[in-house]
Amino acid sequence: MKVVTGVVGNDIHVVANRLIELSLNARGYEVFNLGVNTYLEEFFDAAVETGADVLMISSLNGEAEGWSREVKLLKAKYKNLDDIIMMIGGNLVVGTGNAEDIVPRYKNYGFDIVCHQVDLNTGLDMLETLLKERSIQSKETKESNK
Amino acid sequence: MSLLQEEREIILSNEYVDTFDFAEVAEFVKNASKDLFISHHFKKKSKMLVQPRGGFPTYKKQFALYEFFVDANVDVLPLTIDSNTRLNDYATSKKMLRLSEENDVDMLNGYPLVNHGYRTTRKMITHFNKPVSLRHGTPDARLLIETAIASGIFEIEGGPITYLLPYSKNFPLDKAFLYWKYVERVCANYSKLNEPINRESFGPLTATLVPPSITIVIQLLEMLLSLEEGVKSFSVSFAQQGSMNQDIVTGAVLKKLAKYYAAQINCSDASIHLVYHQWMGAFPMNKDYAEQLINMSTVIASMVGADKIITKTREEASGIPTKEANAKTVSNTQYTLGILNGLPNVVDEEEEEMLTLQVNAIMEAVFNDPADTLWRKVFNSIKNGIIDVPFSPHIINHNNMITIRDAKKNIRIIKRGNVPIPDRCYAYDKAQCDLTKDTTSIVNDIIHDIGIMQ
Repeated sequence: MKVVTGVVGNDIHVVANRLIELSLNARGYEVFNLGVNTYLEEFFDAAVETGADVLMISSLNGEAEGWSREVKLLKAKYKNLDDIIMMIGGNLVVGTGNAEDIVPRYKNYGFDIVCHQVDLNTGLDMLETLLKERSIQSKETKESNK
Repeated sequence: MSLLQEEREIILSNEYVDTFDFAEVAEFVKNASKDLFISHHFKKKSKMLVQPRGGFPTYKKQFALYEFFVDANVDVLPLTIDSNTRLNDYATSKKMLRLSEENDVDMLNGYPLVNHGYRTTRKMITHFNKPVSLRHGTPDARLLIETAIASGIFEIEGGPITYLLPYSKNFPLDKAFLYWKYVERVCANYSKLNEPINRESFGPLTATLVPPSITIVIQLLEMLLSLEEGVKSFSVSFAQQGSMNQDIVTGAVLKKLAKYYAAQINCSDASIHLVYHQWMGAFPMNKDYAEQLINMSTVIASMVGADKIITKTREEASGIPTKEANAKTVSNTQYTLGILNGLPNVVDEEEEEMLTLQVNAIMEAVFNDPADTLWRKVFNSIKNGIIDVPFSPHIINHNNMITIRDAKKNIRIIKRGNVPIPDRCYAYDKAQCDLTKDTTSIVNDIIHDIGIMQ
């Protein structure tokens, strides 16, 4: 399972980014870490280049909100990215906000999993649950197509 | 005309510089008060010098900050530069300075020195007649340091490695080496006119679980790069690491090896000083706890035998500190230093030996690189992972070294990557830690180890 990850925008906070890479490796993913200060185009380019199954974006200073508004528009310009799992996590607003408002807003931006101030391992467990569901679904689809 | 002078004229014919008068600046440095030179204060060695951090956009606010510091009995004044100037974006800093002046709201996180210019800034520096230390984070600091020295700022912090690897993702490292070579040469030339200009390296790096061997190697290499250009006064530095014993060992080894390696390039005439940074990692939100932490840092700095201490404030966790909070730390630190008497002499020979072996092995690997000059050897060593800084955001850094804290909170290397840590030291470091856990628990430990003071 391939994951492209990085910190979006002009955010240079690197600590969690390294820990995400370590944890993903520990869980057996093949990780392509673009590091801090990464623009949306770079994420999508990397996802196409690597054939990633998951795109995991993180943010600490909260500027993700500004960038995320462009996700759907930009992603539509790429072919072969329809099935990629879009995940975002970290501190997803500038200032303070609560998860009940933030999560639906980001789902609307085009993310499948949204983790606002969620513990790293809890977030990665959420990813694993979704991956399992998807694999069951795709098996069922295949069965029904027989 | 020398190549250096040609380059200086190009750098200083900048649209943001109001005609740089080379002869007048040289005359000013030559006749400047000895009190402005931190190298002069180091020579007197009467006490550990106390220096806060701080920079405001407007002249007026910076002046007011200095008044507060002087009232708090400061030894060395800081001049912290805003982040636009650090990235050579003088147009933005000019605009933000104007907005700050007109609206009385700070639009910059420091003092835009190039925009203020040396004629204006010099008035403030000579008025207070205290040594000033330039704090920035600039990969290309050529114009900035020319302006600083012309203003009467005779201590320049930074270096090609320590101002790049913690702060930048993709500024080219080879360029940074060449830009800093210019800085060293200009400092060396001005040093001939009066007391020497002091250069200081930035030891804290990413302030996140950096093992002492990596800190020391980078301190030594920046020192050598500076001395080989003719700098005569240099400060090596490091930040509080989390274990008092490890700090004392680090200070002892750093002092010894700095003298040793300076002598190896026939630069024993240069004076080398030790600077200690109060805790540079994440601070507690509770301001009273923050003061306790700061106080403990001061005690450790004394145990380490630092020549200068750089302070934090009780407001560290919440943003840029007010001048009141900043001055309060200075007077508190002076008070603690005044009452700290009869300190014990702590020596841990085994730890010193282990650390010295690590540092010497890495230094040897750097010197063995086939490149023709020291900066190229260092550049190659970073590129191929012989030097690896944990948690650096820079693309050139390998990030293959993993460190955690042992039970006594010493930072230990549990994965060495390409860094030539001798087998014996590697086994020793790993033996101090519980490595039977799975990676997920180790990652949790690392998260805990980073936030140790919160």
